[in-house]
Amino acid sequence: MTERCDDARLAAVLGGEDSPDLAAHLATCEACRADAPAWRAVAAALAAARPPVPAAALAARVRHAAEPVLASHARRAQEAGFALWRTVGRAVAAALLPLPLLVLIDGWVLRAIYETLRAVLPDALSLYFVVNYTTLLALLLTVAYGAIPLLAERQTRLRHEEIYG
Amino acid sequence: MATDAELIRAIAAGDGRALDELYHRYERPLHAFLYRHGGPRDLDDRMQETWLHVVRAAPRYDPTRRFSTWLFQIALNLCRDARRRPPPEPIDPEDAATAAVDPEATQSTENRLDAARLLAALPEAQRSVVVLRYYCDLTEAEVAEILRCPTGTVKSRMHAALARLTALARAPKDEA
Repeated sequence: MTERCDDARLAAVLGGEDSPDLAAHLATCEACRADAPAWRAVAAALAAARPPVPAAALAARVRHAAEPVLASHARRAQEAGFALWRTVGRAVAAALLPLPLLVLIDGWVLRAIYETLRAVLPDALSLYFVVNYTTLLALLLTVAYGAIPLLAERQTRLRHEEIYG
Repeated sequence: MATDAELIRAIAAGDGRALDELYHRYERPLHAFLYRHGGPRDLDDRMQETWLHVVRAAPRYDPTRRFSTWLFQIALNLCRDARRRPPPEPIDPEDAATAAVDPEATQSTENRLDAARLLAALPEAQRSVVVLRYYCDLTEAEVAEILRCPTGTVKSRMHAALARLTALARAPKDEA
C-alpha cells in the first residue's frame, strides 16, 4: 500500500468520496477499489453515529458546581488589586521620604562645584557647566522615581504568581 | 465578541458569565469528544469535571497557547484518569448482536453500536486521533499539540487507525 493509497483512504473516510483526486486514484488502484466498500462502511458508521446533544441542564449544573471556585477567584483578584495599590503606595512613600534630603545635598554639591569652577573659569562658562550637570541630575532622579511604581507593580505580580500559581 | 483568552482571564477574575459563554462555545465539540473517547458512562460527570478543572486552572492559563487545545488536553487527561479507576463499560459484542437483531432496535441504534465498537477496537492513542480529527474537527497540528506529539505521529496514527477500521469493516464479509 502506497502513501497515495493512505491519503485516498483518509479522504474517503474523513471527507466523503466526492473528491476528484480520490476518484482518479480509485480508477487506477485495484487494491483501493477493492477496499472502497469497507471505507464507505467505516465512513457511514462514523457519520451516522452522531454523539448525543448535551442536556440543557448541564450548563446550569456546571455553573453551579463552579460557583465556589469562581467566588474564590473573585476574592483573590480583589485582594490582588488591593495588594497592588498597597505595595505601590508604600514604595512611592518610602522613595519620597529621603527626597528633600537628596535635593538639599545635591544643592550643596552644585553650589560647591559652581564656586570651585568660578575660581578658575569665567562666570558664564561655570554657570553653563553647572546648569548642564543639574539638568542631568534632575533627569536621572525623574527616571528613578518614575520606575518605582512600575517595579513595585511587577514585584507584586510576581509575588502573587509565586503564591497562587 | 470576546476571545477565548479574554474569557478565560475573566473566569480567573471570578466572572461566571464568561464561563457560560466559553461553555456554550465548546459545549458540543467537548461533549462529542468525551462521548467518543470515554463512552456514555459518567459522561455528564466528566463534562462537569473538565469545566471545573478549567475554572480552577484559569489563573494559570498561558495566553500564548490556544484555548481549545488546552481544553481538550484537560479532557483527554480526565478520560485517562477515569479509565484507570473502575473498569470501563464493556461493549459486549453479544449485546451488540442482540441489539442488531432486536426488531425494536432502530437503524440509528445499530449505527451507534457499530461506531462505538469500531472506536473501542482501536488502541487509545489511535482512538484519540480519530475522535479529535473526525468528531472535533481539529487539524493535524492542533491534534499534535493536544497529544503532545509530532504532526507526523498524528498522521501515522490516523493511517494505522483507518487501516484497522477498514480491516474491521471488511471482516464480516471475509468471514462469510
